Amino acid sequence: MSCTVLRVAALAIVLAGLPVSNALAHCFVGARFFPATLATDDPCVADEMSLPTVDYLPTPDTPPGKQVDIGAEVSKRITADFGVSIAETWTQIRFPGGPTLAGFNNLETSFQYQLLKDAPHQLALMVGLNVEWGGTGATNAGIGDSFSTLSPTLWVGWGFGELPDQLSWAQPFAVTAEASYDVPTSSFDLAAGAFIPQTVSWSGSLQYSLAYLHANVIDLGLPDFFNHLIPLVEATFQTPVANNFGNSYVTTGFVYPGVIWVGSYFQVGLEAIIPINKESGSGIGVLGQLHLYLDDMFPNTFGQPLIGARTPPAKLPFGG
Amino acid sequence: MRRLVAASSALFLLFGFDAAWAHAFLDHAEPRVGSSVAAAPRQLSLWFTQDLEPAFSTVEVQNSAGARVDQGKPRIGPANVMRVGLKPLPPGTYRVLWHALSVDTHTTEGSFSFHVGSH
Repeated sequence: MSCTVLRVAALAIVLAGLPVSNALAHCFVGARFFPATLATDDPCVADEMSLPTVDYLPTPDTPPGKQVDIGAEVSKRITADFGVSIAETWTQIRFPGGPTLAGFNNLETSFQYQLLKDAPHQLALMVGLNVEWGGTGATNAGIGDSFSTLSPTLWVGWGFGELPDQLSWAQPFAVTAEASYDVPTSSFDLAAGAFIPQTVSWSGSLQYSLAYLHANVIDLGLPDFFNHLIPLVEATFQTPVANNFGNSYVTTGFVYPGVIWVGSYFQVGLEAIIPINKESGSGIGVLGQLHLYLDDMFPNTFGQPLIGARTPPAKLPFGG
Repeated sequence: MRRLVAASSALFLLFGFDAAWAHAFLDHAEPRVGSSVAAAPRQLSLWFTQDLEPAFSTVEVQNSAGARVDQGKPRIGPANVMRVGLKPLPPGTYRVLWHALSVDTHTTEGSFSFHVGSH
C-alpha cells in the first residue's frame, strides 16, 4: 500500500469520527459566509467568542446619561447542530451632575438548534431559546433585573448567490433576520410600580461581502485588505405587545451602519448606533467588537462539538 | 471585567492556539475570477489561503452547456495552489466549481466564471 493510500485512509478515518457539519463550523453555508454580526446573532451554531464587545450611547433620559457597555460572549457546540451561548455585559451610566450607575447585567444564555443549512440556496435557519437570568446582575445598582426573561427565537440567513449572472453585482448581498417573543417571568415591578411588558424583538442585517465578490464574482485587483471587508447595516427593534397597561406601546430601536473585517481566525467590527426615535436614545453612539473563530484557532479541542455524531465524510459535490 | 479577562486567558492557555490552521479561502485564480481572456488557457490555477488535503479537494470546469472541459486530476502544489488541465476551449463562458478541505478538516467551496474570447 502506497504512502498516499495510507494517508488518504488515515484522513478518512479521522473524518469519519467527526460530524459532517463540524467542517462547516462558524457560519458557512455553501459558498456563503455569514459573519458574526455585532448587534444581532448570525444564523448558525458555532464555536466562537466575542471579546470584547464595547459600545457607547447617550441614553434617552433628559439630560442624557452617557452609557458604556463592555461585554463578552462564548458560543459552544454541544453537538454538530446544537449549541449554547453564554454572555455577560458590564454597564456604566454616568448622569451629568448626578449619580453613576455601574454593574453587571443579568447573565444571558442562548440554547440554539440548527434547523437547516441549504448550501445551494445559501439559506440557514436556526431556532432557540434565549434566557436572561433574573437576579444575576447588579439589581441594587439599577442595572440588572430581578426577574428572568424567556425569548423563543428564530434566526434566518439568506445569501443572494443564486441571482442570475446579469445581476452578478448583487450576488454578494445577504440578509439575516432574527425574531423573538420576550416573556418576563414577572408581570409587575413593585419597586418601579409599573407593569413589565411582553415584547416582540425583531432585527436583521443587510450585508455586502467584498470577500464573496472577490472569490465568486469578479477579482477587481483590490488591495487584499479590501477583499476582507463586509459593509453592512444592522437594525434592532423592540415593541411592547402585552401586559403594558398605562405605558407606551411605541417601538424602540436602533440602526447600525458599519463594516466588518474578516480574517482567518478573527474578525473586527465597527458600527455607528443611530436611535430611531427619542424613546430609543438621544444621540449617535458607537459599537465595536473583536470576534474570535474558536473552531479555526483550536480545531482539535475547543473547536469541536462536545458530542460528535459518527458519520462518514461529506461526499464531494462533484467528481474529480 | 476581571472575570471576563481571566476566563478568556485561561481558555487560550488551556487549548493552545493552532496558528497554522483555518478555513481555506480562495486567494486568487488564473484565469482571474470574472475575467475575460483573449487566448484559451491551457490550465486553471487556484491559490488558497491554507494548506489543502489533496484527496478531498477538487475542482471542475464546465462550459455553458454544463459539459466538463477540465482534463486530468487536479494537482495540489506548493504555496497552496490547485491546478487542473483544460481541454482546448473555444470562445465562450466557463464555470469553475471548487471544493477544498483544509488540513484541519474545515471544508469550503465556491464557484466563479471566466470568459474566453472577446465579449
